[in-house]
Amino acid sequence: MPDITREDVEHIAKLARIKLTEEEKTKLTGELGSILTYVSKLNEIDTTGVEPTAQVTGLENVFRSDQAAPWYEGNPHDLVEAAPEHDGQYVKVKGVMEGK
Amino acid sequence: MMNVETLTIKKAREILAKKEISPEELTQAFLKRAHEENPRLNAYLSIFENAPGGIPCAVKDLIMVEGEKCTAGSKILENYVASYDATVVKKLRAQGVSILGKTNLDDSAMGTTGENSAFGPTLNPYDHTRVAGGSSSGSVAVVAAGMALFALGSETGGSARLPASWTGTVGFKPTYGRISRHGLIPMASSLDQVAPITKTVEDAALVMNMIAGHDALDSTTSQLAVPDYSRALDEDIKGLRVAVPKEYFAKGLDSQVEAAIKKAITQLEALGAHVSEVSLPMTDYALATYYIIVPAEVSANLARLDGIRYGYASQGDNLLEVYEKSRSEGFGKEVQRRIMIGTYTLSAGYYDAYYKKAQQVRTLICRDFDRVFKDHDVIVGPTSPVMAPKLGEFKDPLQFYLADVFTVQANLAGLCGISVPCGFGEIDGVKLPIGLQIMGNKFEEAKILQVAHAYESR
Repeated sequence: MPDITREDVEHIAKLARIKLTEEEKTKLTGELGSILTYVSKLNEIDTTGVEPTAQVTGLENVFRSDQAAPWYEGNPHDLVEAAPEHDGQYVKVKGVMEGK
Repeated sequence: MMNVETLTIKKAREILAKKEISPEELTQAFLKRAHEENPRLNAYLSIFENAPGGIPCAVKDLIMVEGEKCTAGSKILENYVASYDATVVKKLRAQGVSILGKTNLDDSAMGTTGENSAFGPTLNPYDHTRVAGGSSSGSVAVVAAGMALFALGSETGGSARLPASWTGTVGFKPTYGRISRHGLIPMASSLDQVAPITKTVEDAALVMNMIAGHDALDSTTSQLAVPDYSRALDEDIKGLRVAVPKEYFAKGLDSQVEAAIKKAITQLEALGAHVSEVSLPMTDYALATYYIIVPAEVSANLARLDGIRYGYASQGDNLLEVYEKSRSEGFGKEVQRRIMIGTYTLSAGYYDAYYKKAQQVRTLICRDFDRVFKDHDVIVGPTSPVMAPKLGEFKDPLQFYLADVFTVQANLAGLCGISVPCGFGEIDGVKLPIGLQIMGNKFEEAKILQVAHAYESR
């Protein structure tokens, strides 16, 4: 099953929003192939009817009342300042609807 | 005169109480030591000159300290400044702890040798041609070299226990949900935990007393009462049932490591423990399970690092280009590899074959441990199959992954585990530390601390 092609790598990189050079594509095609071959050893195990484990605490649906409560003691503006591009209280981004 | 290299939290509290030294003098002594040693080891990424007086502690640069940089060892967060204190940092400060600085780590905590750090590897204090181990590389090195009395690291698959075993320190991985993760930069959220690094087991118990417990800001923390971990230490281990998994002594285990672990087990027996061999049949599959679940969760967690809200931003003509360039220039190679694998295994058509399959095997791994803990108190074995490797010794990604072979189980099953020094091996005439791992059932930290302390004081 884990036959990773160069086209697969290009497709995954696009989904993951990572730009790869031609060299990196070649290298990753090999590396991802061998990692996926390694993890595919799980197919040796019969897991028919086994429930998946997503977390181990046993906690379920931890609720709090639906009321806003302050937890951050600092200046909320500092959070905006952390953005590489910002203007006043807004985070700046490139146009979303531009181009294609 | 105080020796910063051998001083422990316990002794420091004693001499502070007797007023033999002031908290300011204590902090200054460790800052001085940090400035002397750090240029050789590259363990601290930043040192806080104005650290207040108190018990000197270093914090992995994955945990937020207000007003200070929090790089996650990555170029993508190189200039990010934390806007609040992590809950664990707040708790430590409230109990007389002084944060001396932030420590080095593999990029985004992904790695087993520390070599993936964007800021260069941390060297092993025992041999400067070898790595300290990862991902909490700086945290173990500062403790081993006496540059802090203790440190906070973190664990996803062994990132505190493994490097602790390579540097002769104590690495403690608490049960999932025992310590708040509010302010810990996430990697794989179903596994991550904050993990103390100390010189002694007694100190690990003291740190746990300071930081364990429920936090309203982390809904995965448990409401279970926190015991006094220091009180458990003095009980003897007569009659305690110790399980030794036969799978932990299979091929690939270094012969010197094997000899040291077997000797430690004999010593536990001499202390009155009942040792018996058990089987954990899923051992061989734990690593493969881990390396499906982790990249999947990584690919989701790291989606937030996109050059918009914080961190490194590259210029681009449009939004997509900003995302793509920021992420490929900001993330290191291993991080990119894991994001790619996670994206693949979670993508349409592959989810059942990889992620769901791994979650099902995770259930079987949990069952293995449930079975053993039915009639055993703790499980012991090696922390790592080998001693600290040389810089550059590991080459292939899978070689790095294999170092985690004995540690990932505790994370997958949500157990607690500790690595304690159990002697030395020798490579090329240099003595290198070996670590004994003791694992306990969920929320049985007191029991593994008790066994570790009995072993340490033998």
